[in-house]
Amino acid sequence: MYRSLFPALAVVVATALPAWAQSLAEPEGEVILTVSGALDVTNVGGTAQFDLEMLEALDATTFETSTIWTEGTHSFTGVSLDTLLERLGVEGETLRATAINDYAVDIPVSDAVEGGPILAYRMDGETMSVRDKGPLWVIYPYDASSDYRSEVTYSRSIWQLDRIEVMQ
Amino acid sequence: MSNLKASPVRLRLLITLLLGAVALGVTLYLSTAVVRDLRLLNSARSDNVQWTLSQAEVEFLEYDLHLNTSLGNLDPDLRTLRREFDIFYSRINTLRQASIYSALRDVPEFSRNLRIVQTFLDRTVDTIDASDTALTGALPELIERAEAVRPNVRQLANSGLNYFAEDSDRRRSNIAVTLMQMAAVVTVLLVTLLLLALYLAYLNAQNVRRRAEIVQASERMKIVTGTALDAVVVSDAEGRILDFNAAAEQIFGYSAAEAIGADLGGLIVPDHHRAAHAAGMERMRVHGEKRVVGKGRIKLEAKRATGEVFPVEFAIQSAQTDEGEIFIAFLRDISHRVKAEADLVAARDQALAGEKAKTDFLATMSHEIRTPLNGLLGNLSLLRDTKLSARQARYINNMDTSGKLLMNHISDVLDITKYDAGKLHLRPVQMNISTLLQDIIDNQSGAASANDTTLDWGWIGPPADWIHADRDRIQHILMNVIGNAVKFTQAGRVSVQAEVLSAPDSAPELHVTVSDTGIGMDDTLQSQIFDDFLTGDSSYDREVGGTGLGLGIARRFVQALGGGIDVESTLGEGSTFLIRFPITPIAAPAATGPHRRLRSGELRPSRVLLVEDNEINRVVAREMLVAAGHRVTEAANGKVAVDLAQNKTFDLILMDISMPVMDGRTATRQIRDGNGVSARTPIVALTANAMAEEQQAFLSDGMNDILTKPLTRDGLMQVIANHVHRDTDPPAFAKDASKAVAGAYLDDLRETLGVEALRPLLDRFVTEVNDTLAFLADHHSHAPAEIAARAHRIAGSAATLGAVELRAGLIAVETAANAGDEKGMAKAIAALPAIWFVTRPQMRADRDDAPDA
Repeated sequence: MYRSLFPALAVVVATALPAWAQSLAEPEGEVILTVSGALDVTNVGGTAQFDLEMLEALDATTFETSTIWTEGTHSFTGVSLDTLLERLGVEGETLRATAINDYAVDIPVSDAVEGGPILAYRMDGETMSVRDKGPLWVIYPYDASSDYRSEVTYSRSIWQLDRIEVMQ
Repeated sequence: MSNLKASPVRLRLLITLLLGAVALGVTLYLSTAVVRDLRLLNSARSDNVQWTLSQAEVEFLEYDLHLNTSLGNLDPDLRTLRREFDIFYSRINTLRQASIYSALRDVPEFSRNLRIVQTFLDRTVDTIDASDTALTGALPELIERAEAVRPNVRQLANSGLNYFAEDSDRRRSNIAVTLMQMAAVVTVLLVTLLLLALYLAYLNAQNVRRRAEIVQASERMKIVTGTALDAVVVSDAEGRILDFNAAAEQIFGYSAAEAIGADLGGLIVPDHHRAAHAAGMERMRVHGEKRVVGKGRIKLEAKRATGEVFPVEFAIQSAQTDEGEIFIAFLRDISHRVKAEADLVAARDQALAGEKAKTDFLATMSHEIRTPLNGLLGNLSLLRDTKLSARQARYINNMDTSGKLLMNHISDVLDITKYDAGKLHLRPVQMNISTLLQDIIDNQSGAASANDTTLDWGWIGPPADWIHADRDRIQHILMNVIGNAVKFTQAGRVSVQAEVLSAPDSAPELHVTVSDTGIGMDDTLQSQIFDDFLTGDSSYDREVGGTGLGLGIARRFVQALGGGIDVESTLGEGSTFLIRFPITPIAAPAATGPHRRLRSGELRPSRVLLVEDNEINRVVAREMLVAAGHRVTEAANGKVAVDLAQNKTFDLILMDISMPVMDGRTATRQIRDGNGVSARTPIVALTANAMAEEQQAFLSDGMNDILTKPLTRDGLMQVIANHVHRDTDPPAFAKDASKAVAGAYLDDLRETLGVEALRPLLDRFVTEVNDTLAFLADHHSHAPAEIAARAHRIAGSAATLGAVELRAGLIAVETAANAGDEKGMAKAIAALPAIWFVTRPQMRADRDDAPDA
């Protein structure tokens, strides 16, 4: 086992190095999201801080869905939780998401899958103000699966999100 | 169990299952509803909504608090203030827009407060969004506004809470109802399940019972087939044996283990039937055609294990089972029965052959005895015509009497043989029963008076004179019974009474009662009286003699006539015989015109061809014919006769039937078919005992008449008269009247009495004369007075009938006897046979048209 552990470590180190090389730049605009906790990638004081531009620079995901808080179907655009966590090299089990008004909810890392929730920053192509539950709103594709139309999922759909703490 | 039977059970089961399924479905549906309601009840959403409402108030208070804090502050945190406002704004927006609050928004209290709060927000938002200076300056006003709207925010939260409290109550009561419903449905379901369980238990019990019954029935069946004496073989449609019982094992010699599964055809069908068996099975499989199945018992052959083929009787039935059609064959080994039957048939054939041999023997013997006896009597008759001393004449008469008696006995035996062989045929003719009775009484009156017995007869009720019946047989019966009565009655009375008894539905019956005051019979004798060869035991019986066949024959004849004969008797007092038989009354036939008469003296010499193989018979017949003045040509067989008839003219051919070389029938056909000079000559058959149908055959061969043996002179003269001179001129004969007979007397009688009445008179006369001649032949042993009386009596009859010469001869005898002139009497007696020889044929000549000749 030990003999094979070393080459494996070598591979991990070799592949991890470029990730550090892509370390986050510091935000230039207003910080709208701060990710703290067990991260591989940080930019400011052990946290990863994002302005809108930085989030928009990440691969964006767009889908249409209705929600229980809005009327009709709307188009939501944002970065998927999966993409974000991957970008930050998150290793934890749970994300504690907290809103501007300090409303907090735990989202298990297992929710972060492809086709899963996004951190939406645009609704119908427009950025969202605090009055419109912006600037970040965790949206699940409710219409895509009945599993997402549950009370638990609704409670995890936190709006006016500004902090995520990755918990071990 | 067939499908048809099972369907009600299945239907019930299906209905129960359906009911259960419906109940289950309803339960599931209600469960879902309950779960949904529970989820709704417990859902974080309602909590969340309430929390949201409280949160709205909290957020408003946060904003309000921040306003108040900022007012006194020189450097107020406007950013946070704006953030608090935005958050509250966002919250109210959510309450206004979110679909989950739509129901809540329908509550008027909530809706009103929400509008007020919204108005507040709309009025304030511009101030919040204004510059920091303007905002700072507007703080007091904002505080004022916030204070103003604060109760509304409070009410907004409260009204929401009230709504959700009521909503919760409503949901709870809904759930309670749903739960109640579910409880009811579950109860129904449980009951249904219980019923189903009970029903299944019942079905199961029934099945168990049925199974036990089937097992029992099957066991019984096994015992039945196992102990059956017949082989029971069950096969499927392919002919494979499915079952083979113990009897089958024993009969066919295969064990059940060997037989089951084997091919039926190969195992027990004999090789020569196998192709037919295979074809039959094929027909059945392909067309469903069943030729032996269900067709009852059939006899065929089967094969044992040893290869032995034996007869079987079998029946096959088919039955439908789950495994397809099966055939059940019941086979019985009938080899023993078949053998027994064959043995029985052989035994019967043997017995019949023996019986036939006996009958044939009797018939042949009778015939063979009659032929030489006929020869003897014929020769005696010829001998009588020669010159004889009185003693010789007496001896000849004795021999003649004995010979005729013997002939009668033989005829009796022949009659019995014929009757028992079923060959006795009736020959019904027109006859007068009264005349017959009178004749018989007349005939017996002599014997009766000899016994000092009175003999009388008469009709009870209206007489039935003319009937259609077998005269000869009736005469035989009556003669026998009346003769017996006379024979066994001494100094008494014999009374004969005839009566016609009519029945509405059947032919009238003639009852003839013969009562006597004779010796009578005991019961034992009565019961045997109609048996063959029965003679009484007393010395008297022996004295009267007889073969003992008389009543046996009478009984047979009466039965042949369709009647019966009975006797009642008391020993020592007398007997009464009752003879009864059906009759067919007819009208009296029209009186016949004058008949041709036969007179021996009138006979023209005829050319007669006599065909007879028996030399004695031939010689007798020849002598009789020659004596009557005819020319006779003899032939010993048919072939010679045919040759003679070809080239020689004959007036008559007398043809024996059975002869060597060529028989009489063949000869007759050849003569008739040929064109010889005698092809049309009348041919008369000579036969000993011809049956009615044989006689018909002779006539169809071309014969004209039949003459029954033994031949008599009279018979011969009769056929010559009938056939030879038929076409000649009768008056030519009539003119040449004989001096022996005065024909005018007979003619008169014929005209007054009729032929039928005259014939028996003449017959009786002939018999009486014969008897008298026999009586006179030994005149030494009779008293002269007796001889005179008898001669007188016969002379009277002779006068009546016109036998003038005979009358003269008899009167001569009477005169001599009365005068005590023994010599003269003997002389007169000796002259009588010669006279009678000439007279007698003429006395019977009037029977030339006898119907039964």
